[in-house]
Amino acid sequence: MDGYSINKQILMHSTLKEEQLSWAIRFLFAISVFLIVILSSSYHSINQELIYYSERVDHSHEVLDKISEITIDTYVVTYYGRGYLIVGDSSNRRQLTYQAQKLPRRAEELSALVADNSAQVFKVRALTRALADYQSKVLRFVSTPPLAQAQLQRETLIKNGTASTQQIKAILNDMAQIEHKLMNNRVKSRNNYKQQILRFNWVIMGVALAFLLSSFILLERELKRNKLYKFELENKIENLNRSNSELEQFAYVASHDLQEPLRKIRSFTDLLVAKSKSTLSQDASLMLEKIEKSAVRMQLLIDDLLQFSRLIDTSLEVETVDLNEIIDEVKRSLSESIKETATEIRTSVLPVVSGYPSQLIQLFQNLISNSIKYSKEGVAPTIDIFLTEVAGHEIPHTRPHPSTDETPFYCITLRDNGIGFKKEYAEKIFVIFQRLHSQERFQGSGIGLAICRKVISNHNGYILSEGAEGLGAKFYIYLPKENLFTR
Amino acid sequence: MLNQYILMADDDADDRFLVQAAFEDNKIDQKLLFFEDGEQLLDHLKDDNIKGITRFILLDLNMPKRDGRDVLRTLKADKQLSTIPIIVFSTSKAPDDINSSYKLGANSYVVKPSSYEHLKEVIQKISDFWLNTAMSPR
Repeated sequence: MDGYSINKQILMHSTLKEEQLSWAIRFLFAISVFLIVILSSSYHSINQELIYYSERVDHSHEVLDKISEITIDTYVVTYYGRGYLIVGDSSNRRQLTYQAQKLPRRAEELSALVADNSAQVFKVRALTRALADYQSKVLRFVSTPPLAQAQLQRETLIKNGTASTQQIKAILNDMAQIEHKLMNNRVKSRNNYKQQILRFNWVIMGVALAFLLSSFILLERELKRNKLYKFELENKIENLNRSNSELEQFAYVASHDLQEPLRKIRSFTDLLVAKSKSTLSQDASLMLEKIEKSAVRMQLLIDDLLQFSRLIDTSLEVETVDLNEIIDEVKRSLSESIKETATEIRTSVLPVVSGYPSQLIQLFQNLISNSIKYSKEGVAPTIDIFLTEVAGHEIPHTRPHPSTDETPFYCITLRDNGIGFKKEYAEKIFVIFQRLHSQERFQGSGIGLAICRKVISNHNGYILSEGAEGLGAKFYIYLPKENLFTR
Repeated sequence: MLNQYILMADDDADDRFLVQAAFEDNKIDQKLLFFEDGEQLLDHLKDDNIKGITRFILLDLNMPKRDGRDVLRTLKADKQLSTIPIIVFSTSKAPDDINSSYKLGANSYVVKPSSYEHLKEVIQKISDFWLNTAMSPR
């Protein structure tokens, strides 16, 4: 396995893990949000209960206050009643009337306060009746001057008054008892909720802290890993740049230093043949011819290699290229062989893309001349070129390219009616110097499609082929619709 | 009549030999003078003791000491020597080399042929043009 595919595997592995991690983070986040919402809403309802019970406790206090107020009022009435009985003056009488008239209103107030409790409502009715009774008695008592009455009568009056007061007092005591019991319950509930709310506070804080902490740890880890990736990437880019410049140097070496000795081999073989033609044996001339042929072929290979290595040149400027014009240009430069072979080229309207015009001309020239070259004997070649549009993930890659999954691509299909090739060679034909036919049958160095692939990869695209023996070849050129060039 | 010369500067002995052979095989009757680098060539041209007319110079680009570009620059800057036709004769097909040579004032640029037959043809053509077709500076 070569270094490239190992790297690829590591990358793929890490992206898989990354994906899992990102899902885990999303999951954690969703759960924490869910929990915090649930806890907060429970907190709110508990708080609501707490407020309710506090209010109820306050209410009970109010009721108790009202009860003691009525008790006091009753005592006050009794006090003035006795004063009037003894002195019989108008001042005491006035006060007595006034105080006694206040009583029903008090009963009404209490009744309004305890309307929510059936036991108290029942009691308050008895109280209202008792108070009304008491009031009417007092009023009757007031209407007769007390000093006119006998001693015995007065004693009875005092006794009666005391009895009425006692009766009212008993009812009020009952009510106070009931209210006390109620209040005790309410205080208990209130204290219970108080404790709960305290617990909830701690729980919410704990959960929030736990998630914050785990998020922090995850983030920290991710950042660390990112840093590592960045470092790795930078390293790889540096290596790539280095090997690129090495390739450029190699191109120079191939162009100059390798061609030099080859030129000498050819020249001196030539010279030898020219000078010593008469003295050479037939075998020797034949061998010299073979040397010459091999040297010529090597020259071709070096030239092609050079052409290929020139595609690494990164100094070219990206231009807006109309592919229709490119095809016209290619047709013009191949016009002779097109005419000779009666080739028909049918083209649909092609898009305008960003790229390097000279390289795109080379691409289509190689493809079309291949179609002409590998045509069936006796059949005029026809080439159809047409356009479709696909998304990145629809491209049948051999390797995954997740970053361009959503990118829209132009797909330019080039289909011919030539000799085609076996399905299993669909990838092999793009490899540099790979050939499917012997030199005798079809001349060439096997660089044309390698150049095509390099050109397309320079344009951030993909080229794939499809073929069947005897049924023609199909080439799919995928070019990104948007400009993906970084400069 | 003054002697007439064709000059060639090339550090490669084989190339010098092949060019000489090509001239001989083409039966071009001109005196050929060979130099191994630019410095030798310039020394010769600036030597006032040598009388004669230089018809043209075949100049290699990559040479030790003073290379072809250096020679071009020096000759084209010289009032008298700038009239001598200079044919750059190099293995390089690189556009950079070709363009820079013309910019420096080369009169033509010929890539060294890769076979002897071809070389003979090229030498014949060059001679035909520069010796018999084109007018030489007076």
